[in-house]
Amino acid sequence: MRELSYLEAVREALRQEMQRDERVFIIGEDVGVYGGAFGVTLGLVEEFGEERVMDTPISELGIAGAITGAALVGMRPVGEIMFMDFTTIAMEQLVNQAAKMRFMFGGTIEVPFVLRTPAGSGTGAAAQHSQSLENWFVHVPGLKVVMPSTPYDVKGLLLSSIRDDNPVIFVEHKLLYKTKGPVPEEPYTIPLGTAEVKREGRDLTIVATSIMVKRSLEAAEQLAQEGIEAEVVDPRTLKPLDEETIFRSVIKTGRVLIVHEACKTGGYGGELAAVIAGSEAFDYLDAPIVRLAGRDIPIPYNRNLEYHTVPQVENIIEAARRLARGGV
Amino acid sequence: MALNKARKRELLRQMYTIRAFEEMAEQLYAMGRIHGTMHLSIGMEASAVGAVAALRPDDLILSTHRGHGHCIAKGADLNLMMAEFMGKENGYCRGRGGSMHIADVAGGNLGANGVVGGGIATAMGVAMGLKMKKRDQIILCFFGDGAANLGTFNESLNMAAIWSLPVVYVCENNQYAVSFSVKKAFAIERISDRAAGYGMPGVTVDGNDVVAVYEEVSQAVKRARKGEGPSLIENVTYRWRGHSKSDVNRYRTKEEIEAWKQKCPIQRFHALLIEEGMLTEEEADQIQQEASAAIDEAVEFAEASPEPTLETIEEGVYA
Amino acid sequence: MATPVIMPKLEMAQETATVVEWLKQEGEHVEKGEPLLAVETNKATVEIESPASGILAGIRVKPEQVVPVTEVIAYILQPGEELPREAEIISLPLPQAPVPPPVRATPVAQRMAQDRGVDLSTVVGTGPWGRVTKVDVEAALSVSHLAAGVRGEKVRATPAARRIAREREVDLSAVTGSGPRGRIQAADVLAFTPAPMVVSEPVAEVVPLTGVRRVIAERMATSAQTTARVTLVTEADATAFVEAREQLKADVADEWGFAPGYNDLLGIIVARALREFPYMNARLSDDGQTIERLAAVNLGMAVDTERGLLVPVIRNADQKGLQAFGTEFRALMERARAGKATPEDLTSGTFTVTNLGMYDIDAFTPIINLPEAAILGVGRIQPKPVVQDGEIVVRQMWTLSLVFDHRLVDGAPAARFLQRIKQFIENPYLLLG
Repeated sequence: MRELSYLEAVREALRQEMQRDERVFIIGEDVGVYGGAFGVTLGLVEEFGEERVMDTPISELGIAGAITGAALVGMRPVGEIMFMDFTTIAMEQLVNQAAKMRFMFGGTIEVPFVLRTPAGSGTGAAAQHSQSLENWFVHVPGLKVVMPSTPYDVKGLLLSSIRDDNPVIFVEHKLLYKTKGPVPEEPYTIPLGTAEVKREGRDLTIVATSIMVKRSLEAAEQLAQEGIEAEVVDPRTLKPLDEETIFRSVIKTGRVLIVHEACKTGGYGGELAAVIAGSEAFDYLDAPIVRLAGRDIPIPYNRNLEYHTVPQVENIIEAARRLARGGV
Repeated sequence: MALNKARKRELLRQMYTIRAFEEMAEQLYAMGRIHGTMHLSIGMEASAVGAVAALRPDDLILSTHRGHGHCIAKGADLNLMMAEFMGKENGYCRGRGGSMHIADVAGGNLGANGVVGGGIATAMGVAMGLKMKKRDQIILCFFGDGAANLGTFNESLNMAAIWSLPVVYVCENNQYAVSFSVKKAFAIERISDRAAGYGMPGVTVDGNDVVAVYEEVSQAVKRARKGEGPSLIENVTYRWRGHSKSDVNRYRTKEEIEAWKQKCPIQRFHALLIEEGMLTEEEADQIQQEASAAIDEAVEFAEASPEPTLETIEEGVYA
Repeated sequence: MATPVIMPKLEMAQETATVVEWLKQEGEHVEKGEPLLAVETNKATVEIESPASGILAGIRVKPEQVVPVTEVIAYILQPGEELPREAEIISLPLPQAPVPPPVRATPVAQRMAQDRGVDLSTVVGTGPWGRVTKVDVEAALSVSHLAAGVRGEKVRATPAARRIAREREVDLSAVTGSGPRGRIQAADVLAFTPAPMVVSEPVAEVVPLTGVRRVIAERMATSAQTTARVTLVTEADATAFVEAREQLKADVADEWGFAPGYNDLLGIIVARALREFPYMNARLSDDGQTIERLAAVNLGMAVDTERGLLVPVIRNADQKGLQAFGTEFRALMERARAGKATPEDLTSGTFTVTNLGMYDIDAFTPIINLPEAAILGVGRIQPKPVVQDGEIVVRQMWTLSLVFDHRLVDGAPAARFLQRIKQFIENPYLLLG
């Protein structure tokens, strides 16, 4: 199978869905001729025209309102906010309006849109361009939150997200854009709310999101040489969460290491840990649930500091080793 | 389109209905039969009725927290409205929305809004969608003088203008944003002056003159439908009651309220129609009585309606 | 119809308002919308308007009165109307918040009660709606919060370890944990082999440990655990002793009605020796602070009965001749064996003698009959070759085992006592002295 980069996979999904469904359009800053802040939408405006690949002024709140309103009257917008940090400006429309309209209006309305947003650190962009705020959106009833980790996953999940009738926050890690992997040419969907065991193992379970999946798999390779077989589970959709796949893995191994980039305090790991501890998997835990996450600091500019602010492969190895050897 | 006799009577009836509804809602609240809070539009009937009268039935509106009048003017079923106010299962929103979030989606009212200015950006988006769908429907977005100072006003009106979206923005300037007077909130005299800053037509209207409102909004609607883009209409009006149920009106004087009561939009129109020979006094009274009766019926209907059950509490979050 | 004037709800969380003053009087005509009275809420003083035009009547509240919202405070009557009778006054009830059904016990309390075997229905609940809380269960266990942590460590074990322990019926407190801070992990439970159970043999008969048996058991254990036991063993040449007994038997058996036996003679000898060595006729006081030398020599002679070992006591044995001693001894034995021994028979002993010679025993270490200082155990008398004047001769030899409590008596004094008994045995004529 041919290989695509994560970025190309996103673009392909957009293109194929826009070809299939004329209600789908893209809207965001610099998505047109500029090709998107990270190059994701390059070439699309030439194919679909400015009316379906719309550039906007710098107006994140307006973008959120635009996709909300257009979705209300039957369009399927795919909005882009070029850094997840700027979703803060759009919060009112996303949280107070889009997420709640269906419920407030007794189920008589739908708000089907996707808001794509690049997140995460590692590019030296520092505190205000490097955040991972996915747990804020997980916390809002009415929204769905997707965080794909591979080119294969991102294409299938994006197609599913666009076809979903709810507002979906679609989080792409910047450092994943250049990663490559096999991607089928034809359109295919991966259902939202399905996790995947990316690697099987029996000594411990690593539940990782986004770029931490890749790092966990690298860590697992090295751990295998020490005789520690790690099972890596990728939730893929944070909300709704595929709990069963995670429980099954925990029951199998008895030890869980949760890895995510976002700050530890108030991060998704806390939610996962509580879900696991409160489930039937509890009786199979042979060690405390361990979270490895970003430090509770804004992302620093200095390269070395930035590197050591979030979990890296060696951190995952160390944490996994300690957990597998029973020293926690 | 000029208003004929039937339509004018209809406008009067709508205004009386709104007034009766608001007064009843107020009473029910005082009696503890409606809970939460509510924002009454008594005194602002002409702004709602005149503006909505300029729309086609298939046009859409987005409303504010003070949206009972908009909802009624757009043709809502009073029974379902009242049931919603009482939190009942067969209210417009299954009791989940209440006064501040009432919506009649089928009737084209995409909802009142608990967030000041919450509808402004969404309306721009709706207009975008309508234009993309190549329908010639338009959306009319109500908001207040307070909302005009939000960031969303800037972003949304700009985007509406640059893309020539079919949205009519109607600012109901009732002189106060809760307690903050427009005299202090604006460095300009007329909110409609801002329209020029975004590149769209703007006009200030006597919001208590239902015919004037109708005529100005009609112009804007025509422009929007023709693809000429958005407009900003400023309806100058006044609310007789406080902002919400917790407001004891410390920021304005009794005299001011009295003065505006003298300019009651319903009395004006009532007198005008009689003067124009469109209506007799008896007919006018009858219209008022029928409006009252309809409200009484709605209350009965609502009180007899069932409460939502706990089993359904999690429904309606996701499609 | 009379229009009720109600105290309106004006604010979101308002429950009452205070009447400030009536602006209109009873019987006055009022117009709809006119202010009737001023009331005070949390936020401000507000005027209440008349809901109708008519006559204000039936004012029911006065200034400074605190009135609940929605309560009727007056009426507006039309001309000719009368006030409604009391029975017709309906004030609109506020919807009540539903009272949640009482929960018997909190989850923590339920679990704790289950773990500790507490019957929840007997626990008084002090939580909301009489709910039983953890504190209530602890009170039932007479365990205070603070003591709970002190009363024995809880077992540290992972959930997986606990599950496996449950499944395999392993007692976690017997397992050693290899995890951090001694945490028991699954592997620890899996590797655990419990100590072999004692009862793997089929049980043939069950004898309840009650009555005499129980008392014996308890007293034996106590004695063995508290006394500083030392055993002295010696062999006495009992040839003359045996001869004396044979002689006596022949002479007095008919007259006395019994044939004196070794025990009778031994009893006389021991009693005499106790008289000579009063420190052997002693005991530790109840408070353990003093050694009491006893006035009387009350000799206990251990007797094996159907019901177990009994020790009837011959009081003042040192003052009894052989006949008296023997008679009393036999009577005691009979009563003991018939199960008719009285408390007097069995108490106040100061020294005990126990004989297992009839079972071919030589030496043994009997348990001191507390609170006595020592006990003499004797075995069988049997002919043995011994060296006398350089030659081997056959003599009747008798092994004597004296177990004494070293807390009260030292080795040498005890040895002297035993030596004396040996002397009496070897030369019974010394008793004449």
